Amino acid sequence: MNTRAYALEARYEFLKQVRMPAYAIPSITFPVMFYLLFGVMFGGGRPAAGTTVATYLLATYAAFGVIGAALFGFGVGVAIERGQGWMTLKRATPMPPFAYFFAKVVMAMTFGAIIILLLVGVGTALGGVRLPVSQLLALTVTLIAGAIPFCALGLAIGYFAGPNSSVAIVNLIFMPMAFASGLWIPVEMLPPVVRSISPFLPPYHLAQLALGTIGSGVGAPAWTHVVTLAGFTSLGLGFAGMGYRRDEDKTWG
Amino acid sequence: MHTKSLMIVTLGLALIAAGLVAGRPPAPTAGETLQPPPSGTFAIRDVRVFDGERVLGKATVIVRDGRIAAVGADVKIPADVPVVSGEGRTLLPGLIDSHVHTFGNALQRALASGVTTVLDMFTDQGQAARWRAEQRAGGGTPGRADLLSAGTLVTAPKGHGTQFGLPIPTITSPTEAEAFVDARIAEGSDYIKIVYEEGDAYGLSLPSISGATLGAAIAAAKARKKLAVVHVGSRRAADAAVAAGASGLVHIFGDEAPSNDFAQRVKAARMFVIPTLSVIESVTGVAGGADIANASPLAEFLTPDERAALNASFPKRAGTKVTLQYATAAVRQLHAVGIPILAGSDAPNTGTIHGATLHRELELLTRAGLSPIAALGAATSAPADAFGLTDRGRIAVGRRADLVLVGGDPTADVTATRNIVEIWKGGARLDRKPAPTEAALAEATASGRISDFDGPDITAEFGGGWQISTDTMFGGASEATMQLVRPGAAGSTGALEITGAITPGAPFPWAGAMFFPASPPMSPANLSKFTEIVFHARGDGREYQVMVFSTALGNTPATQPFTAGAEWKQFVMPLKGFGVDGAGLRGILFSAGADQGSFRFAIDQVRLR
Repeated sequence: MNTRAYALEARYEFLKQVRMPAYAIPSITFPVMFYLLFGVMFGGGRPAAGTTVATYLLATYAAFGVIGAALFGFGVGVAIERGQGWMTLKRATPMPPFAYFFAKVVMAMTFGAIIILLLVGVGTALGGVRLPVSQLLALTVTLIAGAIPFCALGLAIGYFAGPNSSVAIVNLIFMPMAFASGLWIPVEMLPPVVRSISPFLPPYHLAQLALGTIGSGVGAPAWTHVVTLAGFTSLGLGFAGMGYRRDEDKTWG
Repeated sequence: MHTKSLMIVTLGLALIAAGLVAGRPPAPTAGETLQPPPSGTFAIRDVRVFDGERVLGKATVIVRDGRIAAVGADVKIPADVPVVSGEGRTLLPGLIDSHVHTFGNALQRALASGVTTVLDMFTDQGQAARWRAEQRAGGGTPGRADLLSAGTLVTAPKGHGTQFGLPIPTITSPTEAEAFVDARIAEGSDYIKIVYEEGDAYGLSLPSISGATLGAAIAAAKARKKLAVVHVGSRRAADAAVAAGASGLVHIFGDEAPSNDFAQRVKAARMFVIPTLSVIESVTGVAGGADIANASPLAEFLTPDERAALNASFPKRAGTKVTLQYATAAVRQLHAVGIPILAGSDAPNTGTIHGATLHRELELLTRAGLSPIAALGAATSAPADAFGLTDRGRIAVGRRADLVLVGGDPTADVTATRNIVEIWKGGARLDRKPAPTEAALAEATASGRISDFDGPDITAEFGGGWQISTDTMFGGASEATMQLVRPGAAGSTGALEITGAITPGAPFPWAGAMFFPASPPMSPANLSKFTEIVFHARGDGREYQVMVFSTALGNTPATQPFTAGAEWKQFVMPLKGFGVDGAGLRGILFSAGADQGSFRFAIDQVRLR
């Protein structure tokens, strides 16, 4: 396997996003800003689902950040690059096609890790969050691995959305889904109607997995969330496959 | 076309569905594990085991430190473990009575007939909170059953539930439901009981909450992860409760035959039903418990008052439409489609008593089509599952050793549950004593001796025992606890110490210990030959009071003060001073008075003269 091609592609994908403020700035600042507002200023040490609001929301806003990095990275990135004909050009290079996707996954996970680190810093310094290192590690690993389903879902969006509409489309899907999954305010505090749909939304399951690592959450077994997320991964890949075929058919007839 | 993509999408949907089904949030439950078990290590060998659902032919059960450590046919008994023979006997999980009202010594009386847990459906929430706190601290075992309680119920002003003399908050509109339910949960209610009862089935006209309030209260309870159980008396009310999404019904109706699709609707709503056929039988004017009182192995363990209660029934009302046949038909239909049926007695309503009536209920359930095994499940695993009690209700490794050993085979003839050989609660054996005979009780009563507090438990020579009573039932926040202390007055072994604190809040603050001269508590006793209350007291120098409840006084007690000083002192209080005589005496309360702050006093050698 040509690891150099993979490494280079990943490196430049990351550099590209860092230098493209339209992605890097909202991906990082939104979760941190929201967490400061809801988790630290309003919530702080008040109790929530077996822990404090600041601790609970640290997990859910970290999930929010990781999911956003994945959805925007793939959904918007792929849509724009398809629009620019970048994919067609890349196919003419000796780069292995899979390196393109690999690079985007690594990029999304790297941004996710940065967001988690920032949130942990803010929570510990300002929100009175005190989590043992083992739990922080478990939380981080869970969330970073949890980026995968959202990379797949983002990919599906990227294959169907147009380059100009993709940001709006991802926002329209992501924001209501984040709210109804309990990423912004604890799922236990959502109105019952909203609460009843949260299990059907993928972010809910990542949030519950994350909360599970710090001893909170609604208490369904972790493997059920993993299976559901695997299902959403498969769903995203399947639709992405259809989108890819559609593009091929258009290009080559 | 995109066959591969489609297959991946389908796989994804299947995985999502599997994850969602397996990860369904647990149903709302009463939730809390009640009590750390005490120690208790023994084995029962060669016993037929009903494990809560199934029968194991001949097995050995090992109990270690109050929990079940092993169950099975080839379990080896370690050498150091005491062995009980189970030959010809059946071991049952401790029975659970899913509908009681708990006052006075109800929990002791329930356990005496093998009921190790009761699900209370309305009592004084302050008393329920005290019992819960004691349970959590590990108290009350093996002497009494564990309690879960709805506390105060949800009912309309002047509606069913307000007639018992406890002044309870009521609800008038759906908009109050959330705050009302929150207040119950704050008081400690383990689940929410809602009364939807217009009395029509019984030829009465009672104010009831509206259908909208019913729906709002159910929704509020469920949103807070609490079970919402509903009292209904009529088919119409039951239909409404099912439609409103109740978690369970705490009575079955008997005013009409069930509609053909009733059970299907209950099933679709995933509800359970606590039929309480025993109390329905009593309402129809039949004293169905008479058999137990007069000719069962339980009889000798029942007090004369309890036997009298079982030989009685409600007077049959002229306008009542309720029949046991309709109620039985509804239970039969429910059971046929697999609705969880839970055995409940509704004790201490007229015609029913704590503990023993549950054995009658099992018999009535078998007449409604439940097999003996299903009926036993209705008093063990079914309530444990419905109320989320994962530590009891089954004989399985790790569960509490709440056990009843009976002679014979109740899985073939359910009335064999009455042949109780042993009762263990949390692995601790109950020292089960025959109740005093009529003559002995008459003699005890005639002697006038109430309590000298020299034994290991807080007991009385006659009547319904001692209970803490405080102004929490009138919205106050005063507290009291009682315990035996040594030494007692006049060189005796023990005395009853009452400690607590008076907190302003109720119109007439009080907190103390109350003796009930008759059972069930607050029923009148005829003690007309006595003219004085005599007792010893000492304490912190505060002023205390004796409050006498009597039919002659209505609901308002009469009071006389005394001062408990550092040394024991005898007090003699003529009943005349309270404006009563001994006829119709319902309660004698030794209480701290209106002064705020903590208090401590002890009483001893309490008697009538």
